[in-house]
Amino acid sequence: MKRAGKRLGLVFFPAFDWAISADHPEREERLLYTRDQIVEEGLLDLPGLVEFKPEIANEQDIQRAHICIPDVKSVCTKSHLVAAGGTITAAHKVMNREVDRAFALLRPPGHHAMRLVHGSRGFCTINNEAIIIEHLRHTYGTRMKIAVVDTDAHHADGSQDIYYNDPDVLHICLHQDGRTLYPGTGAVNELGGPGAYALTLNLPLPPQSGDSEMLYGLEQFVLPVLADFKPDIIINAAGQDNHYSDPLTNMNVTARGYARLTELLQPDIVVLEGGYSIEGALPYVNVGIILALAGLDYTTVQEPGPGPAEAPAAVKEAVRRNVGFLQEVWQRRRKIDLDEVFGPGPFYKRQRHIYYDTDEILEKQQEEIRRCEECSGYRVIISAAAKQRRAGKMVAAVIIPWHACKSCRKGAEEAFERLKREGQLELVYLQDVEKDCYNTVPSISV
Amino acid sequence: MSRIIGIDVGGTNTNAAFVQDGNLIAIASCPTNHQDLLSTTTTVLERIASNIPHPEEQSLRLHLSTTLTTNAIMEGRGEPAAVIITHGPGVNPTDLEFPFPSFPVAGAIDHRGRETEPLNAEEVRQTLQRIRRNGIRALAVVGKFSVRNPSHELEIEELVRHEFPEFNAVTLGHRLSGRLNFPRRVVTAFLNASIFRLQAEFASMVKGISGRYGIQDPIFLLKADGGTMYLPESLVRPLETVLSGPAASIMGALALGEYSESHTAITLDIGGTTTEIAVLVKGEPLGERDGAVIANYRTLVPAFFTRSVGLGGDSQIRWSDGSLQIGPEREGPPVALGGPCLTPTDAVIVLEDVPLGDVKKARVELERVGREAGLAAEELARRIIAAFCEKAVREIGLVLKYLNNIPVYTVSEVLAPRELKPEKLIGMGGPAGYFLPKIAAAMGIDYQVLPCAEAANAIGAAVSRPTVAINLRADTALGKLVVPELDLMEDIQRAMLFDVRKARRMALEKAADFAVRTGAYQEAPEIEIGDEEVFNVVRGFYTAGKIFSLKAQVRPGINRVKIPYAWVQYGKKE
Repeated sequence: MKRAGKRLGLVFFPAFDWAISADHPEREERLLYTRDQIVEEGLLDLPGLVEFKPEIANEQDIQRAHICIPDVKSVCTKSHLVAAGGTITAAHKVMNREVDRAFALLRPPGHHAMRLVHGSRGFCTINNEAIIIEHLRHTYGTRMKIAVVDTDAHHADGSQDIYYNDPDVLHICLHQDGRTLYPGTGAVNELGGPGAYALTLNLPLPPQSGDSEMLYGLEQFVLPVLADFKPDIIINAAGQDNHYSDPLTNMNVTARGYARLTELLQPDIVVLEGGYSIEGALPYVNVGIILALAGLDYTTVQEPGPGPAEAPAAVKEAVRRNVGFLQEVWQRRRKIDLDEVFGPGPFYKRQRHIYYDTDEILEKQQEEIRRCEECSGYRVIISAAAKQRRAGKMVAAVIIPWHACKSCRKGAEEAFERLKREGQLELVYLQDVEKDCYNTVPSISV
Repeated sequence: MSRIIGIDVGGTNTNAAFVQDGNLIAIASCPTNHQDLLSTTTTVLERIASNIPHPEEQSLRLHLSTTLTTNAIMEGRGEPAAVIITHGPGVNPTDLEFPFPSFPVAGAIDHRGRETEPLNAEEVRQTLQRIRRNGIRALAVVGKFSVRNPSHELEIEELVRHEFPEFNAVTLGHRLSGRLNFPRRVVTAFLNASIFRLQAEFASMVKGISGRYGIQDPIFLLKADGGTMYLPESLVRPLETVLSGPAASIMGALALGEYSESHTAITLDIGGTTTEIAVLVKGEPLGERDGAVIANYRTLVPAFFTRSVGLGGDSQIRWSDGSLQIGPEREGPPVALGGPCLTPTDAVIVLEDVPLGDVKKARVELERVGREAGLAAEELARRIIAAFCEKAVREIGLVLKYLNNIPVYTVSEVLAPRELKPEKLIGMGGPAGYFLPKIAAAMGIDYQVLPCAEAANAIGAAVSRPTVAINLRADTALGKLVVPELDLMEDIQRAMLFDVRKARRMALEKAADFAVRTGAYQEAPEIEIGDEEVFNVVRGFYTAGKIFSLKAQVRPGINRVKIPYAWVQYGKKE
């Protein structure tokens, strides 16, 4: 067989013995036909492709990205640890140059998992992309600039949440318009927190968008932004549910469309996210992505049966409008008056409700971010989660960002001491990534 | 009473062993004449027959392992053959870059065995005419996912039979292996077609032997997986006889070695040029994950896992940049035997004062290289031996690392890794007697140097038993059942009642049918279920059925061989 133009690492972990529940889309069968197609195509014999066994992520790997409530082992199954570990394996193989690119083709997915984790939402518990980003920063340099391009049909609200105030991580998300699909967020005007404004970028695509709309967004918007940002690493969170046959979405992208996207984007690390057309899409999309990553011809990859219809003119117009808006935001990003966006004052405050559809949890969150000239600012989150309609206890989390300035570090430590004595809180967490120190203490009223 | 002659026609020598009721009675050998394998076989037969008590009294069985097909493939002497492929969507067929003519035609089957594009009979006819015009008469037909639905391959075979009788052999991909991997299936079918005629000629010659010395029909041939097959069956699947020599050696090590059933052992066949490494787990050799690789052809032929290292008694030794280099090349025999450059054997001869060849010559060369290195001859010899052992240990470590890191696809397998930790080294080959104890000491494990190691392959051939495997796939959501090896495709009646027990029972039944046809049944009726996968098929939030994939097989087995003490002492040299 022809040699791959690029050395490609593959971490394939279909978790054939794990499901959320027997009939759930996230079940044993999900990557069965993909495995069959990849093996039958002989891709594991492809010269230049190496298959790697996933490592198992440890508690620290997860604590760097998440605050798990009450703790890591209560929310994670072993399958999550293998999927996260496999993603880390893929990243390592690229960083130590064993391969040029790597594809973590594994499940369960992770991009709906936010920084605070009370359970599973959108089929996700822990965020595989965030776990590798933190692992990379700890292992290969804390000033690494990383770009995540999420091409799942669902808005990556988890990754957005984790990085929306992080100036070293650019998070770009292309997805089906949130007004028509779970989780509902991801509008063009969600642009990130005060410490990293305009580094969260969302391009919602209306239902019926197909290859040409997605590729238009990529070429007109994503690629120029990446060229400006100059990331050290590009991660593609490659959900495959924009496919025209996906049962949960309303998009019209084809396997070749995904392959072309991969070819243009040239990601260093690709991580599978969603995609639930397990017979009609995944086998072909994954073969297409592998061929595109390996630098081989993918034009002969085609799903059986008639393809999708061309998008209506109104859809194309909406995509052009959104792209135009985002292009302008990106051009003007350094001139935007942040006081106008976040209001004046030393802290930016927001309140949210977060619904965990998979585990039926409703979380209420209050968040404060210190607006700081020196760094991205420490954060304090108060969270109360009601599980299956039963009111839960409150917890608090203090987050010290990477490269925190002295006064933010001091402020965060003081906040942690104060919250520890608050009394109404069940647990208080301190996440200090830079010192790699993660504390949990019960709050005791004095 | 079981009386079996095992013969291994190897690259240099041909060995024979006679085993009666589990006792090794005689061994014999002669040089291999590649131009005339039949005369080589009869020569060694005559020699061993003269050592067999009362050869006419009772019938004998012949187990034959030859390099015929292996050499034909290595030397590119197969008949010109062409492959018609139905590739469907996926990897561009031109990127498959087969080193032989392949002809893509329309027609596609998907991963669940559904036809997604029909054959075009007219296009197939025109393709066959083109192949015929090129003077090619050996043909293979292979479809992507044909193991899930062989109907396109069967249709083309039918068309050839009626309209193109001049094609003497049509190999269909799905019959050779039930495993997925389209490019390997194409390669496997091509090779099979290209050696078909050669094997047919050989089989008819060998058949002439039966009757002589009381050898009964049928004769058995060795396969790459350490099993045997009926000579007539080898006419359908001649490719399975490739690499039977190395497999026979490993079977010999199994028969002669002392190991417990719980052992993980490494076998080292240390020759002049190379060392072959294989792994026994619980008394059973590990197989290749996908299939044999021969002359860079990746096939689906079941084969033992072996790794060849350029390290042997005659490996070239160089002193460069302050360090010793051993191998991987062999430039010739040791200096002591008139060779051009220093070898590990020379170091052993000098250090241990072995009366082999010209010890003086070896010493002079050691002294010469020693001056370059600033070392006395003895010290250099010791370093060479240490370096030899270090390299062997390192290579064994790499093999284990590779095996321990083969990806697995379930959570439970990731969490409970089967870490291979060898407890014993089993050695064969000339230099093994000297080096094996040192390698084992470096690894801190037991060792055994096999008796009669030079005839281990012939002994292995004699003790091997038939193997057979079929793959059954039942998709109750589609109501289809397929056993590709048997051309079997049927509808599942009462799919609701089809469960894993039914699937196992059917797989065992079908394997038994196949075993009867291939001669495996009488010899080794212990058919068992190997790999088994069961998946729920859920559509629209309801379970629509199940997919069962099972392999039923007769695994390679051996009868242990006893060697009389006295015989070993006196009978070792022919």
